[in-house]
Amino acid sequence: MGAISERDIVTLCGQVGTILLENGAETARVENTVEYVGRAADLPVVCHATMTGIFVSSEKSATTRIFKVRVGDFNLQKVDDINTLSREFTSHKITYEQLQNEVDRVENENRDFSWLTKCFGAGLVSMPPMLLFKATWGDLGIAFFVGIIGYVASQYVGHHTKIPYIPVAVGSLAISMLAHVLGIYGIAHDANYIIISALMPLVPGVPMTNSLREIIERNTISGLVRATDAIMSGISIGSGVIIGQIIIRTVMGG
Amino acid sequence: MSEIIYGFIFGFLSSVGFGIITNNPRRTLIPAGLVGAIAWIVYIVVGWYNHGLIMPNLMGAVVIGILGNLFAILVKAPVNIFYVPCLVSLVPGAILYDSMRNFTLGNDSQAAYGFVKALTVGMSLAIGFIIAEVIANKLYPPVKRYLAKREKR
Repeated sequence: MGAISERDIVTLCGQVGTILLENGAETARVENTVEYVGRAADLPVVCHATMTGIFVSSEKSATTRIFKVRVGDFNLQKVDDINTLSREFTSHKITYEQLQNEVDRVENENRDFSWLTKCFGAGLVSMPPMLLFKATWGDLGIAFFVGIIGYVASQYVGHHTKIPYIPVAVGSLAISMLAHVLGIYGIAHDANYIIISALMPLVPGVPMTNSLREIIERNTISGLVRATDAIMSGISIGSGVIIGQIIIRTVMGG
Repeated sequence: MSEIIYGFIFGFLSSVGFGIITNNPRRTLIPAGLVGAIAWIVYIVVGWYNHGLIMPNLMGAVVIGILGNLFAILVKAPVNIFYVPCLVSLVPGAILYDSMRNFTLGNDSQAAYGFVKALTVGMSLAIGFIIAEVIANKLYPPVKRYLAKREKR
């Protein structure tokens, strides 16, 4: 281990934590994993993670590094990869060099489902709420396709702009316009039910629940950051839907 | 009865669908779908006997927590991977959206009402997870030890 400096280990720990946090792991888990990796590399580290930054500090000396984090979408594949790597490293199945190479690989790689599969997934998510409303089978099918279109719209906009909250707003705008048009032509029975179902892939329900879980575990700062984020995207979805409704009402006089 | 069958099918499909969106590892998709489907059935059945918001969500979350922890040990994945896709059908997303829509329209009292409802659902889900984790921590270490022993052999 002589050739590896303390600073390298701290950097690697920070890298591990950043990947975990950016792709949807909760803060307590990030801190634990980073501290395990540090201990397995013979350098006890202290890690403090919030939603906006990770601090990793060596306990032996004054080496501390701060990593900035931009929390994005869920990508649980990366969380799982890093988790497997850290588990293998702590049980000494792989060496430090291997760990470093693998972490770099996970950071840059983009193993993902194909576009079509993702659209299909978005459609599947859009269906269950319709069951609660006792909707007709026709409406169920419409919700499937409207959900796909909303998801594609928000993803497309997300690739072209860095401004947060705009993608979900555009996605909900598309959903709302489509549902109201279908409702006016009498193809769909109830536009509002279709909107609520089709919004399922966009709506921030999971972040909301995660934020409450963090607050209960006393990670208050991270919990509040996540909660604010969820409320902001809720507001942008709501305004997107309203704007779509107004546009359709003005154009078609429904 | 047919409600339960439809609930199972669509709970499964929606969990798998959200798993695809969040890029779950492929080996966890089917277990996650199963957990989501069972949780959705529990949600429906508890909803028959208790018309409040809290109990169905709480029981659903307890089921997700217990089964999710079990599968996390069996498939060797972090438990969050099961929580996220299974939650999607229970989660207060639609209520939150409705509240924020009322906020945009200027119906402040309805917006506040919806927001409190969303917080209630979120809280009951979170508390359900805590309960499940307490149970799982007592229940599963023997399972873990057994699996570790079998692997060594």
